[in-house]
Amino acid sequence: MKRIDAIRCISKLLTDEPVVVSLGHPAYDLYAAGDRPLNFYTWGSMGLTTSIALGLALACPDRRIVALDGDGSLLMNLGSLATIGAGAPPNLLIVVLDNGVHGTTGGQHTATAGKADLEGVARAVGIAQARTVRDEAALEAVLRESRGSAGPWMVVAKVRESSPAAKPPLDCVFIKHRFMAALCNL
Amino acid sequence: MNDLGGNFNQRAGTPGALLWPAGICAGLHASGCREVVYVPDNPLSHILRALERDYPDVRSTMATREEEALGIAAGLYLGGSRPALLMQSSGLGNALNALGSLLLCYQIPALFIISMRGDPGEWNAAQVPMGRAVVPVLDAFGVQHLTIDRPEAAEEMVRAAAALAFGTRNPAACLLPRRLTVPGGQA
Repeated sequence: MKRIDAIRCISKLLTDEPVVVSLGHPAYDLYAAGDRPLNFYTWGSMGLTTSIALGLALACPDRRIVALDGDGSLLMNLGSLATIGAGAPPNLLIVVLDNGVHGTTGGQHTATAGKADLEGVARAVGIAQARTVRDEAALEAVLRESRGSAGPWMVVAKVRESSPAAKPPLDCVFIKHRFMAALCNL
Repeated sequence: MNDLGGNFNQRAGTPGALLWPAGICAGLHASGCREVVYVPDNPLSHILRALERDYPDVRSTMATREEEALGIAAGLYLGGSRPALLMQSSGLGNALNALGSLLLCYQIPALFIISMRGDPGEWNAAQVPMGRAVVPVLDAFGVQHLTIDRPEAAEEMVRAAAALAFGTRNPAACLLPRRLTVPGGQA
């Protein structure tokens, strides 16, 4: 499946979940699939998407928090998975859009194009609810399964790079205000 | 030798409890910080112990790296909390892009408590370059900072920095010099 198809599938299933999305192509595709105030688009801080989502999950225990990360981004901050494994926030779902390349910067191969297995990493640090999916039907099935079962969850969606068609708002403070207002924290 | 400093640094009536960590904890709590994200060092361990002992409503989360800690703190703020970040001066160097492209760019506040190395009293050369760079780096980023140089001023200075951070939605920092945390010098 292409990344945009995976993101459309995720976007379609969202209800009131705040989503933190990694900078670059994942953020562009989430915007194209469906902009909403509860999307927190990052424009920098590569590697911190999942960590921001962890902070939200700790602060908002009654909400399910979704991180949309990339393989290249998550590989910059694998320690964040160990923190999540140790703290075990039940309301956190990490979806890694794993295309095996740094798609935003010219397609350089990441370690997941070779031997690195992010589902295996998640399991090894104590995130037992970890799955790898390769098509939209399997992605939709695991997303529905994650709704009814305590996390933390990590879903590695194997995707192909696709060309983004749009960009989210460039104003970071606007993104923050809109997001916090939708969360009723402003 | 160090009798005066040692006694001065004790909190009355609580044997073994240091005055400066108690002041920092009181300042954090009075400022509404109920979330602490940290990468530990020796001086910070006094703060963490005092928090655990005296403020059970404060949650402490250990990160693997300071950059990660800034990400967690940003999420905590977005979710309605007032996060404090505890790290060593060396760790600020690990966190700089997140400081710029996440906290400052999105106007996400956090209160940094930075345990200094490389300042007077230091014995480890590896700590000196980053330690010396802390103040110029914070100034370059426009992050206001103050140095807690007396134990009895700790609570007030933490409260002032927290008011600045959370009132104006910008990071602010309290620096803990070694002459505060390791009076007489060692370790």
